[in-house]
Amino acid sequence: MKDLKHLYYFEKLLEDANNELVRQARAEGRKCIATVCENIPEPLLNLPGTFSVRLRAPRTGSIEMATYYLTSFLCEYTRALLERAIEGGYNFTDCMITPDGCSMLNRCAENMELLRTMQKEHFFWEYMEIPMKADENGLNLYTLQCQNHILNPLKEQFDIDTSDAAVRKAVEEHNRVCRLIRRIGEYRREENPRITGYEFHILTMATYVAPKDLLIEMLQETLEELKTRKPEEKNPYRIRVVLVGSEVDDVDLVHLIEDCGAYVCADRFCYGSFPGRDVIELNDGEDALTQICRQYMYRGQCARYMNQDKIQERRKYVDRLAKEYHGDGIIYQQIKFCDPWAYERMVGTQVLRDEYHYPVLSVDRPYAVGNSGQLRTRVQAFVESVELKKIQGGDR
Amino acid sequence: MGKAVGSERLGSFYTNGKVRKRREWRGVRDTFYDYTRWLHIMGILTKFIVKPRNIKAFFRYRWMGNYLAAPMMVDRHTQGLRGPQLRIAHTEFDLVMEDIAKLLDNLFRGDRKIGNDKEFSKKVVLMDENEMTAVMMGFPTLKGLSRETPSVYVSVLLNQYAACHYLDTAQEFGLSGDVCPMPAAEAGVSIEDDFPVLGACAIQCNTTCDGSLMGNGVISKRLELEDHVPCFQLAAPLRHREEDVQEYAAQEIRNAIQFIEEHTGETWDWDYYFECAKRVNESTRHRMEWLEMNKTDYPQVFGSNLALYTETNYMAICGKVPEFVDADRKISAIAEKAYRKKTMVVKEYRHRAIIWGVQSHFYFDFLIWLQNCWGILPLTDMLSMVSTKILSESDKEQAVYDMAWLTENMIMRNRTHGGYKVLLDELWEFCEEFRADTVILWEHISCKALDGMHGQFEEKARERGIHLIWVDHDLFDPRIISRQEIRDQVNRYMRTVFREEPLDPTLEVIPDEHSW
Repeated sequence: MKDLKHLYYFEKLLEDANNELVRQARAEGRKCIATVCENIPEPLLNLPGTFSVRLRAPRTGSIEMATYYLTSFLCEYTRALLERAIEGGYNFTDCMITPDGCSMLNRCAENMELLRTMQKEHFFWEYMEIPMKADENGLNLYTLQCQNHILNPLKEQFDIDTSDAAVRKAVEEHNRVCRLIRRIGEYRREENPRITGYEFHILTMATYVAPKDLLIEMLQETLEELKTRKPEEKNPYRIRVVLVGSEVDDVDLVHLIEDCGAYVCADRFCYGSFPGRDVIELNDGEDALTQICRQYMYRGQCARYMNQDKIQERRKYVDRLAKEYHGDGIIYQQIKFCDPWAYERMVGTQVLRDEYHYPVLSVDRPYAVGNSGQLRTRVQAFVESVELKKIQGGDR
Repeated sequence: MGKAVGSERLGSFYTNGKVRKRREWRGVRDTFYDYTRWLHIMGILTKFIVKPRNIKAFFRYRWMGNYLAAPMMVDRHTQGLRGPQLRIAHTEFDLVMEDIAKLLDNLFRGDRKIGNDKEFSKKVVLMDENEMTAVMMGFPTLKGLSRETPSVYVSVLLNQYAACHYLDTAQEFGLSGDVCPMPAAEAGVSIEDDFPVLGACAIQCNTTCDGSLMGNGVISKRLELEDHVPCFQLAAPLRHREEDVQEYAAQEIRNAIQFIEEHTGETWDWDYYFECAKRVNESTRHRMEWLEMNKTDYPQVFGSNLALYTETNYMAICGKVPEFVDADRKISAIAEKAYRKKTMVVKEYRHRAIIWGVQSHFYFDFLIWLQNCWGILPLTDMLSMVSTKILSESDKEQAVYDMAWLTENMIMRNRTHGGYKVLLDELWEFCEEFRADTVILWEHISCKALDGMHGQFEEKARERGIHLIWVDHDLFDPRIISRQEIRDQVNRYMRTVFREEPLDPTLEVIPDEHSW
């Protein structure tokens, strides 16, 4: 296939946390809000005068210093973030708003604070409680926490307009990006797709780490380009998989999977488009904040939601994605040392295999997979096994 | 060999087998007393075993075999003790043993696979291990029973290898080997269908950590979806010191109570609640008194005598069993008398230590080893530094917030969640209060919340000139770090940094790898 016009630009964006668009937005005087978790409602961080960046540590090398502070038992994502913070790699941010999503991210952020890694004079830290069950009580908590730990501090510290109108405007802009990503992603349903999973992953990830408004034009152009883009004459992929699991901000993971012949047709992971790029629907009968929180809470696929209904819903969600995007199998992945996804992967793998009858590859992986031979071998073996079943006409 | 403290070479009893070669000689009076308490424990076991359903349970549940080691466990926790400390230990352990025996008996009575007493089962509410049982303080006719406590938690206290099989089960099922072994073992028990099945409903809770929260999902999958026992997940806020989470926490309590009422047909009884609250308050006052005593030169209720008893009394009992308050009073009376006499527990006190972090379950008697081997006084430990808030004894609205507060401040959870201040900063405050020169820092290697403060602990200890001795372990799995490897970490520090010789050199290396 012909290269997408902006793909290289997006790839370059992802090579640096303080990327070109972040620098541009800062030059315009906008405040950069850092966060580390999908459970913080993004539109609230993207009000007029602010933009959000979900922290990554691209091109991670040694994480020795962070390993001293966090030990080698914490996941490499948290260690890579802390290392980058110690190196001064996040000094472009103006504040950090983080939930107690998982213990490791919480400790990572706390160490950043204790080590005074952020240099800006008025830099502030906010830690949020977020619900672990989707119900009315959880919604009350979520709304209150967003008010107390996002909107109020932004108003007080940076004089940001946090009115209902401002929040609605932010949602509108957020939705424009979501619609574009969703429409681009629709092409992954095609039997011989005109966009690779890797390309889609790059586009989606960019929307988490750069000011959204500055991406819209390029995303629109990419969508237009895709309308007429010709796929490869012969489908280069042997099977189609849904990639499910914990945080993936490594550009190489999807690449590696697709190199092995498995097309990543749907992405259900933190930094993925499901459910992170779902449109937020607002009505006029209720304040925007409550509506946003409700939608984040009920659509959330985070493993830390602990009630059984929500747990079951997570399996159904993967099943639905596999059906809609014609997945032949599921790859359940977790970043190594991640407690929530260690359990979720274990049970999810069994349930999807035994109750939903999907072939499932269950793997843990490092933060940066690079050219991991182990992972490549496992994916190759999985591709062969699924392909063999398809050829033999057996059950999935 | 005699009644004097330190007169026995305690390490020489170990034989590299399951049990030690003989009982300790503590002088006529203490030996006789200790022997009568041993007989008492044997009596509890016998009384338990004579019931046919309990014998059946021994054959049905793999983990029941560990209970044969109960007398040995008490012996391990009374090593070297004389006079008042021996009496305090037995007062506590007798009661804890009786309580566990009752718990097991009740579990098997209602268990569909054993006793199958359906009417009884309808009055049972299953509780999580490590869960504060405050929501049961207003249900006098219901039994709040934990299945995880006897199958996993207590089992590992009795037999160091008790959880290994279940850990292997969970890992064979696909669980990573780096998660905390406690919820992993509990998940393993559930995967093997090795929990008793009973109850009108269950209350699960996001107790100490992410692993614990997630392990509940594995358990509730079987319990709720296969055994059809309705489960309520009580989500206690993590940032428990913040004002803006308390209303949420209180509402969770209201919802949990309503859930129990709906599924059992019972009604919350405020009179009974306040009766329990009074007992909780009295226990809290006793605990505070003991801690105050431990700040002086003559601590009396500390180390093993403080840790395990506090865990049981604070969370599992939570004012519901009057005998525990009687025991508190008795312990306080013994301790006060001993304090006035300036009684010492070992012949020489060399270091005053705060024990921080999550202790190794397969080596719970490590604290007594510290004092006997090196003269290190474990003045208090992280798990004993729980809420000292006095509960309202009359205000119903405040009572809901009190229950929420207790639930948020479960043992371990009150330090592993809630931000770094409760784990890191408060440690140094305790060091000051207790005049401690040393921190023994249990580093439970799979506990991400603790690991995540590793570097901060080191730096802050250095800044304050406090000796920080890391003691790595893997909570339930002695195959990763053995008891001797735990001891060696202290031995090395004592010899190379403090340049000291042990009080009892026979304890420095003990052949207890095969011991219960």
